Amino acid sequence: MPNQSGSLYGLTILSPILNDEKATPSHDLQIRLYLASLYTDERGPFALAPLTHLTRLVVMDDVIYVGAPSCEEHTKFKYLVWESNFDGDLDTYLTTLAKTVPTQIDTIWSHCVGYPGTSDIAAFIRYMKACQLQTTFYFAAINNKTVEQALTAIQTQKAVSDFVACHQGMEPAQLQQEFLQFVEKLRAQPVPQRGSAARARDIKTGGHNE
Amino acid sequence: MSNINGKAYAMNVITPMKPWKTPILRFLFWLLGAWKAKQQDLINLSFIEFARWVIVPRHSFPQPDSAQPSEDLRYDYLIFFSNFNGTWNQYIDAFSAVLFDGLNLIWRWSEKFPGSVPVTPFKEYISRVQFDTDYYYTAYPSATANDLKAAHIVQSALDDLAANAAQLSPQQFSDAYLHFLLKVQSNLGDAGEPPVVC
Repeated sequence: MPNQSGSLYGLTILSPILNDEKATPSHDLQIRLYLASLYTDERGPFALAPLTHLTRLVVMDDVIYVGAPSCEEHTKFKYLVWESNFDGDLDTYLTTLAKTVPTQIDTIWSHCVGYPGTSDIAAFIRYMKACQLQTTFYFAAINNKTVEQALTAIQTQKAVSDFVACHQGMEPAQLQQEFLQFVEKLRAQPVPQRGSAARARDIKTGGHNE
Repeated sequence: MSNINGKAYAMNVITPMKPWKTPILRFLFWLLGAWKAKQQDLINLSFIEFARWVIVPRHSFPQPDSAQPSEDLRYDYLIFFSNFNGTWNQYIDAFSAVLFDGLNLIWRWSEKFPGSVPVTPFKEYISRVQFDTDYYYTAYPSATANDLKAAHIVQSALDDLAANAAQLSPQQFSDAYLHFLLKVQSNLGDAGEPPVVC
């Protein structure tokens, strides 16, 4: 199934944004303003709710005209594009988001046509599926590890590197004892927070050539 | 608004296609999906974490509300999303140098695609059809795809060694530990902090 690769799911959603000439600022701009204020680190909605590896939200103003001799055309709506890569199945993922971060999800999608809100989870899932596009080809470099496994592995890699550096040339019996203690201590460590270690960027130009 | 979070860059590209070309492209993607060996170049470009192509037929733009007017478009659209490590220029350069055949096969059906070689007109085309990301999140901003692959190798080797370390004699453990080091030595290190790009 093209939406899936191993245990990973690739979700693509296009939600038409409300066209309301009386809205000030316009709905697309309100989405952009809110997205600009959302945290992208461990305080962000996709970090607070588990399962998401990488995700993005984009306001697509129009389709792109590539120049003559192709025809210029425009969409009737602006679209909120949501691309997400997560663990497990779609229903579980959407339910988790609706239950964990309903305020953020509602604030974003309340500017979209036909959005029912997260209070009725079945209606919320129906809406998202109505806006879903089937992925034609999906590629995931690592498709058999969960977010938690990835974060744990990153933590382990650093800890093992430090352990190896500090235990060179040690007697086998002592090395074995210290290794067993190290493993026990490492396994007792909490999984690092999702989205942590993201450095704040003072300049957020979003330019193509960064 | 930023296309970057930590070590990941989010690229969004949309290109128009004449509708009669869409079935051909669908067939080519089906072939790529079924013929795993053909994906090897994509896998070898180890700085791509996730990527996808989505064909949106002109009459298939979502209509969650039945009262909503439908789009009236002449073209189908091909949308490409990529999550990669490194800079935009490095990515396009590598795509053009390594995957030029595959890229041409995928995008030649799009209007005014100039080909992926030479790279300058290809970059101009991508610049024209790219649109920027408003919100970008990654669960592990400090890690690249290669960092993650290395970390999983270390984790797996550590789990193997730890599984029976307590039952081994000191000398047997020493040998097993040496074997463990040989297995993980090129995957050790710290992903560190992502660079700040201004």
